[in-house]
Amino acid sequence: MSLLTVLWVLPLAGAAACLFAGRFGRLHARAAALAASAAFFGVSLAVLRPFWAGSGVGVYAVGGSPWAFGISYSLAADGLSAALIVLTSFLNLVCVAASWELEVSGAYWANFLALSSALTGVFLARDLFLFYVFWEATLIPMFFIIGLWGSDNRRHAAMKFFLFTFAGSVFMLLALIALVVAKHSQTGFWTWSLEGLKGAPVGAAGPWIFLGLLLGFGVKIPVVPLHTWLPDAHTEAPAAGSVMLAGVMLKMGLYGLIRVALPLFPRFAQTWAPWMAGVAALGAVYGALCAMAQTDLKRLVAYSSIAHLGFCLLGVVSGAAQGVVGGSLQMINHGITTGALFLMVGFLYERAHKRGLSDFGGLAERAPSLAFFFGFSILASIGLPGLNGFVGEFMCLSGIAHSPISYLSLPVFVVAGVVGVTLAAAYALPAYQAVFWAPEGAGSVSDHVTDLTLREKGILWVLCALMLWIGLAPASWVALLAPSLRGLAP
Amino acid sequence: MNVLMPQAVLAAGVLGALGLGLLRRPPASAVRALVLAAPLTALWLMRGVEPAILAPLIGADVKGLCWQLVIVAGALPLAFMSSGDDVEAALFLGSVLGMSLLAVSGNLLMLFVGLEFMSLPAYLLVARAGQGDGARRLEAALKYFFAGALAGAVFLLGLALYYAETRRLGPALLPLGAQGQAGVALMTAAALFKIGAVPLHWWLPDVYEASAPEVAGFLSTSMKAAAVLFLMRVVSLAPVQASAAVLPWLGALTALVGAFLALRQERLQRLLAYSSLAHAGLLVLGVGAWRALGFDPAAASSLLFYLGAYALLSNGAFAFIRASGVETRAGLRGYAAREPGLAAAFAVLLFALGGMPPTGGFVAKLLIFWQALRVPYAVAAALAGVSALVSLGYYLGLVRDMYFDAPSGAAPRCGCAAARLTVLVCAIGALMLGAAPFLLAGLTGRAWR
Repeated sequence: MSLLTVLWVLPLAGAAACLFAGRFGRLHARAAALAASAAFFGVSLAVLRPFWAGSGVGVYAVGGSPWAFGISYSLAADGLSAALIVLTSFLNLVCVAASWELEVSGAYWANFLALSSALTGVFLARDLFLFYVFWEATLIPMFFIIGLWGSDNRRHAAMKFFLFTFAGSVFMLLALIALVVAKHSQTGFWTWSLEGLKGAPVGAAGPWIFLGLLLGFGVKIPVVPLHTWLPDAHTEAPAAGSVMLAGVMLKMGLYGLIRVALPLFPRFAQTWAPWMAGVAALGAVYGALCAMAQTDLKRLVAYSSIAHLGFCLLGVVSGAAQGVVGGSLQMINHGITTGALFLMVGFLYERAHKRGLSDFGGLAERAPSLAFFFGFSILASIGLPGLNGFVGEFMCLSGIAHSPISYLSLPVFVVAGVVGVTLAAAYALPAYQAVFWAPEGAGSVSDHVTDLTLREKGILWVLCALMLWIGLAPASWVALLAPSLRGLAP
Repeated sequence: MNVLMPQAVLAAGVLGALGLGLLRRPPASAVRALVLAAPLTALWLMRGVEPAILAPLIGADVKGLCWQLVIVAGALPLAFMSSGDDVEAALFLGSVLGMSLLAVSGNLLMLFVGLEFMSLPAYLLVARAGQGDGARRLEAALKYFFAGALAGAVFLLGLALYYAETRRLGPALLPLGAQGQAGVALMTAAALFKIGAVPLHWWLPDVYEASAPEVAGFLSTSMKAAAVLFLMRVVSLAPVQASAAVLPWLGALTALVGAFLALRQERLQRLLAYSSLAHAGLLVLGVGAWRALGFDPAAASSLLFYLGAYALLSNGAFAFIRASGVETRAGLRGYAAREPGLAAAFAVLLFALGGMPPTGGFVAKLLIFWQALRVPYAVAAALAGVSALVSLGYYLGLVRDMYFDAPSGAAPRCGCAAARLTVLVCAIGALMLGAAPFLLAGLTGRAWR
């Protein structure tokens, strides 16, 4: 079995093992989950290795003769895929570690591992049929994660999440089929392979097909105004579920844009770029404004994700090398930083069963290490130089300023970006102050909050070390991503 | 081997069931064995059947034989769950016999014979099978009968008009005039009636709701497959048909209406009835695409795959109602906590009915969308996509009720081991069809090379 096949089969087998081990008790299931997640992380590092620091330019690939209907089992990894897969396996391991003390059945762990398997498949697939199958398959475990282990409004949030994403992807599916049909009219045989579909003669249907793809990816990113599922889903999901949602699942949309939509339609990628950038800038500002208005800490982090993903999109559509690479790097940064923030909100919620900004106060004294890690992650999130967020946001803004596409270098986009950065400080720092430094209010539940345990500290040390690493020495990460993105920035 | 061997076996089954009924106390186990053995033997015999024409009545082409396979296989769950009543057995086998005669019919008269032969026993089956409210079932059966009789009459009128112009009971040789066009339009309407396409669908939810669940499963799969073949035979009568242009629109409309109406249903069986309407809409769209693509074998095989997958999904879903004894959505709340295995199987079936990968339902839906976009019926396909989204609202809603709610009240219990096994087998089949649609390359993929 090829290494790439192992990569998505391994977590799936781990999911089955967790279900099976769950019959013998919670502890067995938990141990199985840890073993499977650790093995998955190990294998994903093995896949990353040849691309690290740009040493390998080529791709790993599993090809195959087409099955029926022109579908082929074709997987490949390059720097971008490998980086996102390692992000998946890493955050999956973090989720298992963070949920270690929860009293949950084997199904909990199984859903996380099944989710990781499907996500890995999305990042590996080079056949659009496979891509779509994995894409949709991610919804089912996340539906159960939100619905079974989420907070009060979980039933509604799970349905909303599923139906919104499906609404986008059903049109994406129609667009993909139309693309395959168009290519067939040219060559006379069926193919779903990403490589084989380039240059399909789409004719007048072209804008519609591109729009269908944008709809599917845009819901997932999510771009304003298709974002309304996100705050509910992220807020109601259990802490680890939010980490996977924000950390990896939001990246599927941008990945699809980078891997599928933009390379297949290079002309539209140029002509539609100002519109896409406009939507991205709108998201960066609107997300931040919404975050400012939140009174629930978890919802605030959720809205901040909309703003951050707006930045990523701005970089990706800029058509300039530093923007595209910066957008991709910012995806990984956001996964780490927001993952850490969601984890800490989850730790708070586990202790106090509250999430409101006004429910806390003076936590810096009661839980000093939590205050440290929270502050560190907040600073990374708002783009303090020296931490990872700064690198990504700077590269995105620099990319849009130097964009070769006409209209894109207009100052309005850069200004919107700068406003977004400023607003980030305006929503994040007051929230941090209210929870950790302000005097305790009347209804404060801060006395329920104990400081982090050794396990929790360990997880956060690793995450914060990564933020610092990418912030101080981004060169090797840029070298990892850049070769796979050359096609997008001529 | 003679083309009609499977039909002969089914006919022998009907006679056998009637013969057992002559006994003072017909042994239920013997009836059950008979009702299962007859279709199984027929399926086994179909292996060796080659396409053949026995002019003028029988013309078994590849399409007809493939359809016959799906029709008889789709009837197996009902046979498996049979109550052992001799009259029901005879009616059921008679209906299957009628369907398989329809499948191998060589001209329009034989098609009509098959149509009536499959329908008449089905009316009685609806009235007779199952426990509970007899008056309700009788009302549904009457409604079904009148709708069916109307469809039959419309078909005969259309056939008369068509015959008067062309002097033929098969495909026309010359372009049709106005009279022939009207005849074909009437025959198409009769076929749409049997499928239950909007606006000729009003009888369907009542019939499906009042029938025993397994009978509703049979009606929604085998009967639907036969009706789709019936429609295909009619629309292929002449190369130019004014009435065929409405097929994609009617299909999309049916899919939308079925999906939206199913959203508001409280009773599971009625919900599944409307959902079967949504699926029928996709099938009609598929038939329209098949016609527009010049009767392309790839399009026909897509329809066949859809019907085959749907035979598993719909039979499995209706069998769940029988197996669980749950009749309403409210009764389904928290069901997963009570019966994890059965709930999981039902959840798989629901995801598959909703067209989620990795299940057979997804591949089936993909193939129909694909055919529609080849024509290209872009708008109709987009409407069908909207219907798929809406229908996910209730399929997913059922999964949510089963898993995310706490159980309330006492659980209805049912000892139907056969129904439980059917649900399980159908769910596994749905997963296998999705995970390996490519195993079927020999059956459906040949046309794609």
